[in-house]
Amino acid sequence: MLLFRSEQHVDRWCEQWKRPRGGTLSLQQGWRLAKEWYGDRLSPDWRPKSTAEAEAAFARIGLEGDFWKLSV
Amino acid sequence: MNLDVRRDERAKPDSSLRLFIYRHFIRKCKAPSIAEMVKGAGWSRKQVDTALRRLCESHAFVLQENGELWRAAPFSAVPTAFPVKVGNRSCYGNCIWDALGIPAMLAQDARIDASCGCCNLEMTLNVNRGRLQGARGIIHIAVPARDWYKDIVFT
Repeated sequence: MLLFRSEQHVDRWCEQWKRPRGGTLSLQQGWRLAKEWYGDRLSPDWRPKSTAEAEAAFARIGLEGDFWKLSV
Repeated sequence: MNLDVRRDERAKPDSSLRLFIYRHFIRKCKAPSIAEMVKGAGWSRKQVDTALRRLCESHAFVLQENGELWRAAPFSAVPTAFPVKVGNRSCYGNCIWDALGIPAMLAQDARIDASCGCCNLEMTLNVNRGRLQGARGIIHIAVPARDWYKDIVFT
């Protein structure tokens, strides 16, 4: 999960590494995702998110579609 | 990938070791060694190993080949391209998501000295009062979510 200056730089990286383009998100979405994922990590009651909970977290910040599905 | 697997196992209280590891990262800016975990948690080596194995099932924790901690997400035990400065302390995130995860987890201001994955140009990010400020750029995840843990390093 890397940070890039622009879409063009993502394309260049994919070309260099001969990888198909994956999923992208804005930095603000990334920040929201970080808060969703790690905001409760210091709670004694923390437990890993279930598949459904994780997919719901992705959906809350607009990350939907097959790429973001955890269930096979 | 099915995160529901062995949910009951994961729900068991390994929380004291987990919190010991996180607090060690926060206080000392580095991972505790296994010996420090044994001493700090007041457990036997076997108990620590067993608890660590269970924590690793969550994928949040990963061990090195020598059995020492490699990552306790969002923290990395080894230097990465995602250094995070919180106050006068510096630590490393495993990726840009985790680098953002450190101030999110600590609820503190932070500076992330990231760089472009393509050209290495500096891309400093600042989190102030719960907001990511003035940040330009785009995050790319090369691997579909269901395959993230097949090769966590590449992911």
